[in-house]
Amino acid sequence: MSAGPATALLAATAIAAFLIDGIAALAAMIAILLVLCLRAPVQRRWLYVSGALFSALGVIVISPLTWSSGGGTLLWEGPTLPVIGPLDLSTDEIQIALVNGLRLAVVALAFSAYTLLVDHDRLVSAAGFARRSALAVALATRLVPSLERDAAGFAESVRGRGVELHGVRGYAMLLSPLVAGSLERATGLAEAMEARGFGRSETTRAPRPAWTWVDHVAIVAALVLVAAAIWL
Amino acid sequence: MALVRVDGLSFTYPGGVPAVRDVSLELHAGEVVALLGPSGSGKSTLLRALAGLVPHFHGGRFAGKVEVGGLDTRSHGPAELAGIVSSVFQDPENQVVMTRVDNEVAFGLENMAVAPDQIWPQTAHALAEVGASHLASRRTVELSGGELQRVCLASALALRPQLLLLDEPTSQLDADGAEAFLAAVEQAHCAVVLSEQRVDRALAIADRVVMMEEGRIILDAPVAEARAWLSTFRPRYAGGLEPHDPSPPSRSSAPVIRLDAVHFAYGDGPEVVSGVSLSVSRGEIVALEGRNGSGKTTLAKIAAGLLEPDRGLATRNGRATYLSQDPGRYLVRETALDEVALGVGGDEVRAAAALEQFGLAFATCRHPRDLSSGERERLGVAAVSVSEPDLLVLDEPTRGIDPDRKAALAAWLLGEAERGRGILVATHDPLLPAHRRVRLGAAVEVPVAV
Repeated sequence: MSAGPATALLAATAIAAFLIDGIAALAAMIAILLVLCLRAPVQRRWLYVSGALFSALGVIVISPLTWSSGGGTLLWEGPTLPVIGPLDLSTDEIQIALVNGLRLAVVALAFSAYTLLVDHDRLVSAAGFARRSALAVALATRLVPSLERDAAGFAESVRGRGVELHGVRGYAMLLSPLVAGSLERATGLAEAMEARGFGRSETTRAPRPAWTWVDHVAIVAALVLVAAAIWL
Repeated sequence: MALVRVDGLSFTYPGGVPAVRDVSLELHAGEVVALLGPSGSGKSTLLRALAGLVPHFHGGRFAGKVEVGGLDTRSHGPAELAGIVSSVFQDPENQVVMTRVDNEVAFGLENMAVAPDQIWPQTAHALAEVGASHLASRRTVELSGGELQRVCLASALALRPQLLLLDEPTSQLDADGAEAFLAAVEQAHCAVVLSEQRVDRALAIADRVVMMEEGRIILDAPVAEARAWLSTFRPRYAGGLEPHDPSPPSRSSAPVIRLDAVHFAYGDGPEVVSGVSLSVSRGEIVALEGRNGSGKTTLAKIAAGLLEPDRGLATRNGRATYLSQDPGRYLVRETALDEVALGVGGDEVRAAAALEQFGLAFATCRHPRDLSSGERERLGVAAVSVSEPDLLVLDEPTRGIDPDRKAALAAWLLGEAERGRGILVATHDPLLPAHRRVRLGAAVEVPVAV
């Protein structure tokens, strides 16, 4: 499938997730997206997939305790905590947390599939007049694996000196060098792009394969998915 | 007529000291020039001036004149010069724009407005020239450093330049990757300026040698003449040095690290380390050798305690620190003093003494990213050695450094060993001194950006 229709289908799935309340439908979407993500190499996919699923799990487990819907059957009433307030659990809260968690999982997995599997280059070439903007988005997406590697490198550099990183504050120490490293990388990339003629007034495009029937079906499916989500 | 004419070039980066001073030279079509010199000698700035990146991309004060293919670089920017000049820089990861290899090579051709029906044939030809046709449909993030740098070379050659500029292109590569890259450069049918720290290999493919120090050209001669000059005045650059391993430590002691039949695999991937046994005693330097992907880095991390083996036994008798590859990239604090003090619980007195020892006292209050690449690497070494560990583990510490710095590092390692420190060095460099050399089996290419 071409990059444009694949991206449209993934975007439609994410939009539909916000419009659908049915747990079974959301679970089905997650199952399909998981199967898609599992096509990516193990070393690259685990961070995306585990990040998406654990974030969703966090929403499902924590949010019903910390938020009161005022409806449904009260199942448990706990202590009142500073800042957070009273802890309780009701059937309504569980239902809503489940839907929100599944929605988050769908959106995160759709982004994961886009990052891991879509050919961003073809998306850039399909962008027509917005090629520079599409290239910026593709470069930003491509930066994610580099950031992963840099973050691991920084953590290793600190641990290699016998210093353990503890908690959020420990890892927050790595944010500033990570940003500085990204800026340095971006400058290097800009220099390399200019040296390769980027920014000249006249450009051409390498010929790309025409859309197949699968691509047309994907576009129609994306439209139908969003329409159905609105309708239902 | 000369392809390149540089006349009285001087250049100073914004807020810096002069990087290039009164440089004049001519280059002719088809000539292969090895550009030598220590880190910070002005090689990269000269190459950037030839590509028009200096001053157009970097700003700064520019004096003199540079003409490439008859175009004055003061009035023609890098994008305009791109059809005549192509560049390959140090770090392949910082040059790659596209996701797929064939698209990456085609990117420059699209910018140069090559006829659409010619783009894919020229892309295929360029990839074939560097022996990378089999990579055409691969994703760039899945390639090893060596493969990725060859793709960068193909991207440069696809533009069919008259002048190819290579700025330490093998500094991030292992020995095999560097060999393959330079072999591909030999096949380029254009003038080449190759800035390179692997002097032997550079001299083997060059017609002429230009050597720079402190921004000036101190040697410009044909290779044979240059070899004689280097042997006399800069013997470390002349090549042909034999490894000089020290005699075994006089006292034997209990190993500071002992690995017994250790196995390790990342996730559910294949085993990277299979049943390796190894020990390092105090006062001993052990060199861990092997091809890229043979498990050197993984074993070094196991020895340092950063990874635990899946099977087998790692017995540590003391504290270890670990210096990663390219340490200058992974500095985390706001000043050099804080960077070093991090390893000793914020003890600024010890940190200041370590900075002094490594000739970095001037940088105490400077941001690590404001230092040169050589200074950053020294800062990395200071940061891991300040706590005086029992075992010092270094991963490819000589990669990309100049012969003078390599000699200084070798002398420092010997000194540390004499003080009773155990040292394990994962390296491809046969000239690095070691009491024992352990060779691991060959394996697979390792992705650079995953």
